[in-house]
Amino acid sequence: MDSDEEEQKRVPLSRRPEWSDVTPLPQDDGPNPVVPIAYKEEFSETMDYFRAVYLADERSPRTLQLTSEAIHLNPGNYTVWQFRRLILEALHADLHDELDFVELIASGNSKNYQIWHHRRWVAEKLGAAAMRKELEFTQKIFSIDAKNYHAWSHRQWVLQALGGWEDELAYCQQLLEDDIFNNSAWNQRYFVVTRSPLLGGLEAMRESEVRYALEAIIAKPENESPWRYLRGLYKDDMESWVRDPQVSSVCLKVLNSKFNFVFALSTLLDLLCYGFQPSQEFKVAIGALAPDSDPTGGALETNLAIAVCSLLERVDPMRTNYWKWRKRVLPAQALAVNVE
Amino acid sequence: MDSKCRDSDSNSPAFFDRDLHVRFLEMMYDLVPSAYQSQDINRLTLAYFVISGLDMLGALDRVDKDDVISWVLSLQAHPKNEAELNSGQFFGFHGSRSSQFQPDDNAVWIPNGSHLASTYCALAILKTVGYDLTLVDSQSILKSMKNLQQPDGSFMPIHTGAEKDLRFVFCAAAICSMLENWTGMDREKTKNYIINCQSHDGGFGLMPGSESHGGATYCAVASLRLMGFLEDDVLYKRAASCIINIPLLLDWSLQRQAIDGGFQGRPNKPSDTCYAFWVGGVLRILGGYKLIDEKALHQFLLTCQSEYGGFSKFPGELPDIYHSYYSFSAFSMLEEPGVSPICVELGLTDVAASGL
Repeated sequence: MDSDEEEQKRVPLSRRPEWSDVTPLPQDDGPNPVVPIAYKEEFSETMDYFRAVYLADERSPRTLQLTSEAIHLNPGNYTVWQFRRLILEALHADLHDELDFVELIASGNSKNYQIWHHRRWVAEKLGAAAMRKELEFTQKIFSIDAKNYHAWSHRQWVLQALGGWEDELAYCQQLLEDDIFNNSAWNQRYFVVTRSPLLGGLEAMRESEVRYALEAIIAKPENESPWRYLRGLYKDDMESWVRDPQVSSVCLKVLNSKFNFVFALSTLLDLLCYGFQPSQEFKVAIGALAPDSDPTGGALETNLAIAVCSLLERVDPMRTNYWKWRKRVLPAQALAVNVE
Repeated sequence: MDSKCRDSDSNSPAFFDRDLHVRFLEMMYDLVPSAYQSQDINRLTLAYFVISGLDMLGALDRVDKDDVISWVLSLQAHPKNEAELNSGQFFGFHGSRSSQFQPDDNAVWIPNGSHLASTYCALAILKTVGYDLTLVDSQSILKSMKNLQQPDGSFMPIHTGAEKDLRFVFCAAAICSMLENWTGMDREKTKNYIINCQSHDGGFGLMPGSESHGGATYCAVASLRLMGFLEDDVLYKRAASCIINIPLLLDWSLQRQAIDGGFQGRPNKPSDTCYAFWVGGVLRILGGYKLIDEKALHQFLLTCQSEYGGFSKFPGELPDIYHSYYSFSAFSMLEEPGVSPICVELGLTDVAASGL
């Protein structure tokens, strides 16, 4: 049903007998309103009636219905939502019905903060019993938009407040199988690995998660997400990140493939800046990527980090200025790397 | 009027059409289309975009400053007495009349729906039109703002309950900064909340654990800057002396410039004009703005310029006020002729921010 049909079917509040005792309260904009909005008649009327019952603090089935109408027209109005919550409490309404109402509104407005806050309020009231339904609801949203930020925030809240961690890692896996580029799913994976009370924590999970990230990198080396995830697994422990041979070797592998190697280069650069001691193989790999040009005028023979920066300037031109700057501010430990 | 040089393949001119955008904003100033009625509660935010936008384009003379001042001030919620001020409510500004009632209305109670974001917009507008903020009842705002800060340092925007995240931390910091008074918040707690929002990849999420996001990152970095926790030379300082991971943040932010020259809000998502401000602004605050590809960004932004004036989110779509404002801000950072310089961390022109 499109909005025109809806408007034709709608009976104005002024003509509904059950509202005949209420005098609508128009909005007083003052004499010289700035940025006035061209409200449609239906909108003005609904809000005028809302203002009247809000001011009278009437908490009844009819005002609950009125807030539904106002929310349909104006889901961003937090005053209406807040009053609805007061009415729901006063009427001891069945909050399971309310979950259905929110789902209905969310279907057209999945990126509205007020809707999600209301959903959270309802779920909080229902407690642990709502956990499964909330996980299902967010899953439904993700089937339409797997990166909906609000839904992810809600899901993280559900896990922390109501539980349900058991299947979360598997869910992330499934989403990543659907789309390995889904950065939200990578973030959720990190969230689970670091915060789930059922897993051992980051350090305990590191080994298996490193293997997972490496697989994803090999599959799509141009995908930023697994590179960032891999680094994140070492958190602030850069020494471990540098010393883990799997990290540098995945860089080497991608560099040797000569394909989609920009992140491999930038990761190698970061490793060098944190004290990585590269073997001859790295020099060979870099040399193979810049065979004829030697923009550093012979530096390829002595310093790997400079060579990597020069190569990045060429292959990642959007960030040329950044790679030039990185070259200028190379730390002593990177400049000390003279590859034989 | 110069003849427009048109790209033969599309309708968009190959230059920033300042006059067209001024007309677009003037139209909005006079009447906003009904499609925006669902943003009715945030009318003050729309007004901020329009008025600050006109200021940026050197057309503030189109605005009746007295009208603006009286309308904005009329949206302030005032406590009746000391007891009410200490009741736990927030006394800031309403976003519009839709949630505001006059004391002489036939009411059982006088609802106070004033909102932190509306308060930020109100003060920003007043500063833009040159109103002396010492004339505003800032004590009520600052004292009651404390009620909105949560134990973890985050802020809620209204006392009756709402989501809490970095957006409102930014609003609180900007309010304190504009009122030149930090008693409205516990700065240490706020700082710790912000730090907890930095994600494993260097960007910031809206809440701890959330995916790093361009808008959230701006809120974090601008807040830290306003609070005095980020110095000018932060890119050159040793890691140990920084409260956040700067190199990782820098790298994440620069990686947000996509192949089409625009900025994306998150990895593997499409470019959107507003991130040219959110992420570009982060880089500007850090002192790394010149590390981007300005030409590529400029080109991308122009593909989102509308023939009706204003800018859209993506190329080829209809313009909206929000994306228009942030595109103007992005052009300001690109030093586009005809667009005034801005104070990135406050979201105002430099002139407005300095109060001259």
